[in-house]
Amino acid sequence: MSIRPEVFQAIALLGLASLACRLSGFFLMRYVSITPRVDAWLRAIPIALIGAILGPIAVNGGPPEWLGLAVAIGVMHFSANEFAATIGACATVALARAAMA
Amino acid sequence: MTQTPTFTWHGVVDGAHKGLLIAPTLIAFGLGVGLLAASKGLSVSEIALMSAWVYAGGAQMATLQVWTEPLPVFALVLTVLAMNARYILLSASLRPYFGTLPFWQVYPGLAIFGDGNWMLQMREVNEGRRPDAGFLLGSGLVMILPWTASTVAGHLFGQILGDPRRFGIDFLLAAFFAVMSVGFLRKARSIAPLLVAIAVAVAVQKMVPGPWYLFAGALAGSLAGALRVDKA
Repeated sequence: MSIRPEVFQAIALLGLASLACRLSGFFLMRYVSITPRVDAWLRAIPIALIGAILGPIAVNGGPPEWLGLAVAIGVMHFSANEFAATIGACATVALARAAMA
Repeated sequence: MTQTPTFTWHGVVDGAHKGLLIAPTLIAFGLGVGLLAASKGLSVSEIALMSAWVYAGGAQMATLQVWTEPLPVFALVLTVLAMNARYILLSASLRPYFGTLPFWQVYPGLAIFGDGNWMLQMREVNEGRRPDAGFLLGSGLVMILPWTASTVAGHLFGQILGDPRRFGIDFLLAAFFAVMSVGFLRKARSIAPLLVAIAVAVAVQKMVPGPWYLFAGALAGSLAGALRVDKA
């Protein structure tokens, strides 16, 4: 199938918006000196993003999702096996949903 | 102090290897986005172009949800900006590590980074390994290819897959971030950024339409981290 001109134009713009977000942060920081305070801000970004993603999921979810988060963190904490922790969490969520259905 | 950054072929391979951890999440998510695109009347070529060029799962999902014809271009662009504004922060956070490298070693990796491989890259430096921009590029490459392919597959075959919720597949992204949180929390000086991010994201999601809550939560949480500065 083909690409319609109006769809092509829209996707071109959406991609530019996406690219601008990806490149601009790194580029703009060229003009900001990394003081200890700026450094502390940048270092806190990973943990803040984790909170911003998981917070709403936990609040909007129910027992299956809470259990899944607990399994992901627990398995990772004790085994340090990322794959087992990720898959184990999803399996837990699936089983808990099935049990509650 | 951070170590001298580099860009090596070994980094590209290491990134590609560790990036495979994210592939199942991307593929499951991509199948769903492809299915949604088909239901909105996009052709296979159109969703392939969108996935390779816009290349953002959350943003594509959100724009496809408001996708009607004639195309509301302004609303679509605003949706992408709302969803991807967090990338400005993530991209900025790489400056202390890669700031001294020539642009051609950094910008290709930046052009194709996402939450997952950025998180892996940050963990590399967080655990004391030398910043290698090849890692960002390699891990990005093993994301954009399966991502684009899986949205095409979802467009073509999505109807026969059934409800992904039954297998907990919709939980993959949350599971990945929860797993990643373990290493970061162990090394974190304070959990204030986490708590502030959760509170702000939850509140903004309830009060503001659209996906702005991600950016708001990440920004507020990280600024909370800036309140406490180590004495030099």
